[in-house]
Amino acid sequence: MTTAEHRPIGLVGAELLKLRKRRGLLISTFALTVIPMIVGYLVVLLMHASDPAKHDSAGGVENFAGSVEMLALLAGVAGILVGSTLGSADLGAGVFRELVITGRSRWSLFGARIPGGLVFLVPFVLAGFAVAAGASFAFADASQATPSAASLVESAAWVVLVATTSLVLALGVSAAFSSRGTAIGILLAWQLAVAPLLLSIDALGGLREGMLAAAVERLRPAEVGAELAVPMSLGVALAVVAAWIVVPLTAGGWRTATRDA
Amino acid sequence: MTMNDTPYVLETSGLTKRFGERTVVDGVDLHVPRGSAFGYLGPNGAGKTTLIRMLLGLTEATAGSMKVLGRPVPAQRGEALARVGAIVEEPRFHPFLSGRDNLRVVAAARGPEAHARIDGALARVGLADRADDRVKSYSLGMRQRLGVARSLLADPELLILDEPTNGLDPAGIQEFRVMIRSLVDEGRTVLLSSHLLDEVEKVVDALAIVDHGQVVWQGPIGDIRNGGERTILIHVSDVERTLSILGRHVAIASAAGDGDTVRARLHSDVEAAAAAADINRRLVEAGLSIYRLEPARASLEQRFLEITTRLGEAA
Repeated sequence: MTTAEHRPIGLVGAELLKLRKRRGLLISTFALTVIPMIVGYLVVLLMHASDPAKHDSAGGVENFAGSVEMLALLAGVAGILVGSTLGSADLGAGVFRELVITGRSRWSLFGARIPGGLVFLVPFVLAGFAVAAGASFAFADASQATPSAASLVESAAWVVLVATTSLVLALGVSAAFSSRGTAIGILLAWQLAVAPLLLSIDALGGLREGMLAAAVERLRPAEVGAELAVPMSLGVALAVVAAWIVVPLTAGGWRTATRDA
Repeated sequence: MTMNDTPYVLETSGLTKRFGERTVVDGVDLHVPRGSAFGYLGPNGAGKTTLIRMLLGLTEATAGSMKVLGRPVPAQRGEALARVGAIVEEPRFHPFLSGRDNLRVVAAARGPEAHARIDGALARVGLADRADDRVKSYSLGMRQRLGVARSLLADPELLILDEPTNGLDPAGIQEFRVMIRSLVDEGRTVLLSSHLLDEVEKVVDALAIVDHGQVVWQGPIGDIRNGGERTILIHVSDVERTLSILGRHVAIASAAGDGDTVRARLHSDVEAAAAAADINRRLVEAGLSIYRLEPARASLEQRFLEITTRLGEAA
């Protein structure tokens, strides 16, 4: 009898298998996406319960916007963890050469990591989003506005976009450097420290339009948005995001295709 | 041309690999006949693994050409390697995955028919009972066997095993030898790379000896044993008189006595069988009793040292 554990899988399925069997990565991803949403709303609920006059109820669009912002930040970190694992795990374990020996093209081995990683990561991100969206309705009182359907869809898409760009960026960087640790270090430092600092420097002017963080911020839905640090057109924002996806992926893919295995 | 049309599963011509100024594989011409166990024998650092890595597309050749199963590599690497299984150095796995899941990952790269071979391959190497345990709990011997199982997923016409018995205990080595012969009996070709003379001698039908990146000898195993410095052993009634007669014989380069045996080395340009017959006739005519006259069979170890030492001296 063919059980789920014995069923044939393709390259994408193999990437997914390698990710979901990493207990540490599974827990980390859950801890960065779903748990913060649950904990966040629990805290606000408790605050509201302890002093309703001072603290609004936990639902409504305002709490939703805050939750989405936090989820996007943490989903980005989860994307870095997953992407950097995808980019270097086979090489680190010495399994990459075993895959090359099959005769399969190195580009196809590399390319399968993208959907494999997204199939792993996106459900966690959407689960975290579902907690936030559900709570924004469930805990809203009569005076609070709830997110519109369009806002829910746009916000979900935006959070997934943030997670996806982080994942592919980390995949490309870790494959290019052949090191998970190096990729995580560089990208966390960049996204959490360097990029916000550069965005705040007005003297850089239009140069900041080329930064991924600025472009992603431009794409953030209005209902959960904040004032833009770097104003830019939608077309420029999309082009910048595309460039930050294509360039690292190309570098990582090229390194994978040409390196000694 | 189909893959089975060629008598050789591996052919290389002038294959060379350089790392900077250092030449690791130096103009190798290799022909591995189909359906044999072929030894690729050389000391550590002779360039054995590098040659295998080039054949498998793990690293690029600096110069030369190669064909695997009749297909040029790297031009048709994918098709060529579809029916090739290999273990390069020690087999590596994802330790957090089970043995079965590690095979599923490789089967995913090879295609659904490879997946259908997983259970059979695990059973063949005796790992069916431990297939769902994580590889990190496996012993070195079990990992080697799992490596063989993984290479069998290709239903290989050619199996390339690089130092496959490293770390195995004597029983494991014996099992390995039996497995290699059984694979050859099924019509597969096994290329066995090793620095262990004993391992190669007991398993292979033909071999190539490699030293300093060059193939210095290749052919059937019987030829290498017989084809060294051509020496005949003569068990005779009177060693001193025999040495005196042989000292005047034009075919003899040198002769020495050892008990009741004379060891006579022939000149390289004489025909050995005719020379032996003539020596026999002259000794009999001199009234000596010949108890036995035979070619001295060198062990592979003797021949290996002879060949590699000669090369070292020439360099």
